[in-house]
Amino acid sequence: MALPKNIYQELEDIVGTENISDRQHILAAYRHPDPSNGRKPPSPEAVIMPGSTEEVQKIVRVCNQYNIKYNAVTSLFVPLGITNQPGKLLISMRRMNRILEINEEDRYAVIEAAVRQVQLKPEVFKRGLTYPTASAGPSCSVLANFIFSGDHHTQQSSSRCSRYLLGYEWVTPTGEVIKVGSLASDCGWFCADGPGPSLRGLIRGFSGWSGGLGIVTKIAIGLDAWKGPRVLPTEGHSPNYKIPFPQDCHKVFIFKFPTLDNVRDAMIEMGKAEIGFAVLKFFYATEAVLYTVSANDFWELWNSGLYQKELQQALWVYLAAWTPEELEYEERIMWDIINEMGGEPVDETIRKKYEENMDFFILVSFLQRVLKLGGGWSPTKLGADSIYHMFEVAKSIPEFFSDFIEKGLVLNAPHNWQIIPMEYGHSAHIELLFFFDHGVPEWPKIPMEVVQKSMETDIRHGYHAATPPPVKALMEMLGPLYSNFQIWRNKIKEAFDPNIVSNPIP
Amino acid sequence: MDTLSDYTYTMESCNSCGQCRFLLGPKMKGWEYVEICPIYSRYKFEAYSGQGLINIAQELIEGNLQYEEALIEHIYTCTTCGACDINCKSVRDMEVLDTILSLRARCVEDGQGPMPAHKEYANHVESSQNIYGKPHDQRFSWLSEDVNITEGAEVAYFAGCTTSYMFPEIALNTAKILNAGGIEFTVLHVEEHCCGATLWRTGQRKAAQKQAEYNLKAIRKYGIKTVITSCAECFGTFRGFYPRIQELDFEVLHISQVIQKMLQEGKVKLNRELNMKVTYHDPCLLGRLAELYVPWKGQIKAFGYHDPPKQWRRGTNGIYEAPREVLNAIPGIELLEMTRNEENGFCCGGGGGVPAAFPDFTLWTAKERLGEARSTGAEAVISCCPWCESSFNRAIDSDPRALRYYDLTELVVRAL
Repeated sequence: MALPKNIYQELEDIVGTENISDRQHILAAYRHPDPSNGRKPPSPEAVIMPGSTEEVQKIVRVCNQYNIKYNAVTSLFVPLGITNQPGKLLISMRRMNRILEINEEDRYAVIEAAVRQVQLKPEVFKRGLTYPTASAGPSCSVLANFIFSGDHHTQQSSSRCSRYLLGYEWVTPTGEVIKVGSLASDCGWFCADGPGPSLRGLIRGFSGWSGGLGIVTKIAIGLDAWKGPRVLPTEGHSPNYKIPFPQDCHKVFIFKFPTLDNVRDAMIEMGKAEIGFAVLKFFYATEAVLYTVSANDFWELWNSGLYQKELQQALWVYLAAWTPEELEYEERIMWDIINEMGGEPVDETIRKKYEENMDFFILVSFLQRVLKLGGGWSPTKLGADSIYHMFEVAKSIPEFFSDFIEKGLVLNAPHNWQIIPMEYGHSAHIELLFFFDHGVPEWPKIPMEVVQKSMETDIRHGYHAATPPPVKALMEMLGPLYSNFQIWRNKIKEAFDPNIVSNPIP
Repeated sequence: MDTLSDYTYTMESCNSCGQCRFLLGPKMKGWEYVEICPIYSRYKFEAYSGQGLINIAQELIEGNLQYEEALIEHIYTCTTCGACDINCKSVRDMEVLDTILSLRARCVEDGQGPMPAHKEYANHVESSQNIYGKPHDQRFSWLSEDVNITEGAEVAYFAGCTTSYMFPEIALNTAKILNAGGIEFTVLHVEEHCCGATLWRTGQRKAAQKQAEYNLKAIRKYGIKTVITSCAECFGTFRGFYPRIQELDFEVLHISQVIQKMLQEGKVKLNRELNMKVTYHDPCLLGRLAELYVPWKGQIKAFGYHDPPKQWRRGTNGIYEAPREVLNAIPGIELLEMTRNEENGFCCGGGGGVPAAFPDFTLWTAKERLGEARSTGAEAVISCCPWCESSFNRAIDSDPRALRYYDLTELVVRAL
């Protein structure tokens, strides 16, 4: 059912004819069956592209007036970016893509919703700065990852993206524009909090709202110093790019350990010593997918058994320094820890790839290669707690995951999980990533079943490992693990979205 | 020949990741010039992109979308520049451009495409062997008495329709360069027909196939071992389309590669100084789409394994270095690079039959590109394709601030 003509006309009057459409072939791009979960999303009724906060506000008010449910999106990469029920208006933030300010002195950047990683990252690099960059590829929205968890490979020395959110501008579900943090007092964008209770947690929390609490139109994010090159020294052509960093100040190591406890303890000790731009236990199969060009290349590498032999209990360490002396200092500490924990370097061919190509740590390039095995992939867990706790969670993975492997439902990669410490060890993120093939008849059920079993295991052990997905039943299921957060969430939703129009969850 | 149903794997495994719309990370330089798809840049909806077009293709073959005039226009707005395809293939094993081209072929088979202007191209080719409907006996009007043609040579210069009729100076300059380098060459005379590029890229495959078969026969008849083109569209059609009809038993070179070799071997010297800051525009079919098409028939097995292994065209071995090396060899030339260059070059708007059906969009796209060229500080844009020249000339005519345009061959002849 299309939007009634009068409503469509009101919306068209706000943005102009070119920026709204309800034509079926235009909407085809928003209802494509998702190969990562098998779901065919219902078509939106129309898509609209506001060009300013004022236009967003007007659109939201029209939606409230006529009880039209809406969903704001920028990229379409994750299922959260597409419609979850019929009758919705899709609000594409695509036109709001300006970088409003990069303040080098106070180290923050102010951006609109649709600024992409591939736009902001080089601009801050040029200024010797960087920011936590979610592992989601070049075209993902920077803003979306700062109002969501936004985990990434280098959060040992920084944090997940959401912890770097500063002032922001927010159009509430009913169409009120609210300025938050220092911005509310006309003091600029530099701070997330004002003198009273902070509203930052209201829109962000641990896992965000997936568009369920209005539309964040502009944000400021904190910036850190960048020790890498200001302009990428890219060589070669797609897909065989090389991006080497100067070896005197940048080094990557990968170590294997006798036990998982050794990996964990090495990670904890490096945090205590505050070394490592990046320290992580990474997915071994995903690494093989990322560093090969074709699916055939992946299979050749995977079938060689090298990664299974070398990377099941391994730790990646990237040391970045301002001077060779600083690097030498960090390296000495690192080796002390590695030796104490019984670590040893993995096969040199694996490490060597990083020397040639530091893409992995820049995080705006080849991450979409993870989709290469036919597009059937899914992450689960995605939660955070202490490093110790996360490793306990990891040890419990075989309890539910082995069954899927034995039945041939997922790629045989039981250790394809990562743990990344944050802020030198205050906490850590865990993620289990699994691949499934569309040739398996029951494949559309696989992702949800893995997630479900994973959650059940967490509940059984009392583990804090799952980020509750925006699905009511799953929130209820996980609620007791997290102080029944869903009760508060529901109350906030009712208070701010009385008409239940802002991306209500199923 | 490949058909739309050959690309169901591509359609079904697209995760809407957006890689088909944006500059690749290793090439990032700043906020500006990050969108690589002209239709996405201009019309902004995701349906105007590689992803959108393969979503449309899937809905059409599954019967979930019906033909209508606006849909056909939408499908034919794409310049088929292949930027989406190469970016997608930087990370995945998918055939975005071949899906789009097969979608157009499907529209033609179903009697829904192409656009009227494209049908006119086909009619002209049928009657006059060129897309402009000009007299076939004037195809070689560009030949002058001071050009040495060697009948019986194993090298043939294939000028193509647009060069022969619209930009004959490119053909003349190419011939002069070949003469200067001592390369004995011939032409196909009346047996040079339209290469079929525009027909192929507008989905008129049968008509394009006819052209390919005719030219292949003529090339064999003349005993040609090497075909040289000065047109990126002809070059890309020989290498990207003809192998879908028959295996090539001759090599295809672009004039920029030939000059590069002449310079390397010391057969020509570029002595005359041309003091100019220039930027180079990579034509799509000479750059990212230059690689030879190798037909593949097989099975896509579990987790995307292609059996037998497939030879992918990922844009890795496009003709990027040759024109740049030639430009750098000209005394006084300072070559400045645009952000979107090489495999990420932004189309001039001249491909896929768009200039005939949507001239305003071609103009918009060319202006966008010239804006980027101007941002480098260059005074002139250089390229190697008469279609690019045509697009840029229109944009230059409509904007007094715009740069000058030169075909590479013109600068080389001036520097000889």
